[in-house]
Amino acid sequence: MSALRQIAFYGKGGIGKSTTSQNTLAAMCHYYGQKILIVGCDPKADSTRLILHEKAQCTIMQLASEAGTVEDLELEDVCKPGAGEFHPDNNDITEGYINCTESGGPEPGVGCAGRGVITAINFLEEEGAYTDELDFVSYDVLGDVVCGGFAMPIREGKAQEIYIVMSGEMMAMYAANNISKGILKYANTGGVRLAGLICNARMTDKEYDLSKHLAMQIGTQLIHFVPRSNHVQRAELRRMTVVEFSPSHDQAMEYKELARKIIANDLKVIPTPLEMDDLENLLMEFGLEEEADLENVGKKAEEA
Amino acid sequence: MFVCGYHFPASEGNDVSFEKVIEKVKEGIDAAGKTVTLTSETREGVKLETIEVPEGTFLHTALVDYFTNTECKEINGAKMMYYTNKYQISEISKSVDGDATKAVCRKLDDMNLYRVKVA
Repeated sequence: MSALRQIAFYGKGGIGKSTTSQNTLAAMCHYYGQKILIVGCDPKADSTRLILHEKAQCTIMQLASEAGTVEDLELEDVCKPGAGEFHPDNNDITEGYINCTESGGPEPGVGCAGRGVITAINFLEEEGAYTDELDFVSYDVLGDVVCGGFAMPIREGKAQEIYIVMSGEMMAMYAANNISKGILKYANTGGVRLAGLICNARMTDKEYDLSKHLAMQIGTQLIHFVPRSNHVQRAELRRMTVVEFSPSHDQAMEYKELARKIIANDLKVIPTPLEMDDLENLLMEFGLEEEADLENVGKKAEEA
Repeated sequence: MFVCGYHFPASEGNDVSFEKVIEKVKEGIDAAGKTVTLTSETREGVKLETIEVPEGTFLHTALVDYFTNTECKEINGAKMMYYTNKYQISEISKSVDGDATKAVCRKLDDMNLYRVKVA
């Protein structure tokens, strides 16, 4: 048995973190027999639905609120085995399995969402959810790291290797760079490292080049470019990953390759985030943005 | 890091030279006399065109290597190309093959899916 690896998927909201992480983890389990625990750290609680074939899993915060306190919960209440081939007792396709838990959070607009993440991780650790049998614990973490609660998996050294899901769009790259700043902040105290960027492609011009150069400039690698495919949405309508829905499909192969690389990955670095000007220069270099003379800032296309 | 599917240890950093990648790709591959064809299709599966890759180029060798060593299901004698690999192979080919593959590489840089066949 190899040592437990704690990984996390971060990225801008709406970039496709949960879809990418679930498909990748499903591929790690399906094709490579990995034993995985998913800890969803998004108040939307959608980090495990494709593995469980459910709309949304009951979260630790929900269950704690119903039971009174988190101390009234048992591990079995909050940690569910994956459905179908991802169930620990189902060895038809793979020896691997996926267990799932969601931290949850408060009602929208009320309280601190990060508190759910902190409570959940502490509870799971105390209740022995991180067993010796596991190969990976994976955290799927919402958006940016400006909130201390969402930074908790890296701040406390829970997640050792971070994969940032991004695309070639400006704000996704901005968020990736910002997350790198968060990793840098805690790299020396907590030992967290950046393990790579995953481009969940929007299929914009020169997206590969942009993503690759951003990765290089912040000291990491573009570990995989995942093309856009309607097959992902088809599978999602059945609450499944593409890997389970259609394991020989081209898109499933892309996730398989990403899974292989994550399992073999040893490039874990302290990132060197860019300044905002450098990020804008990167976009200009690859032709998505014309050199913006100061006199043109704020002018409409037809005026500039 | 990973280039053209190969793992280069972390000690080599995040900017592995083209020379090292080419060396790895050529290792154990005899591409001489093989015909390499690429077919492109849109993401919706509409077939676009078939392209023959000129022999004696890095692009030709890399595609033979990809076809031989990539664990990817063969359908009708062809293997789909991972987008990451097609961009990486194209980038190196543009640098070392010059005009011989310029037109093909320009196509490989697009958003279409490519399948490779080696005979």
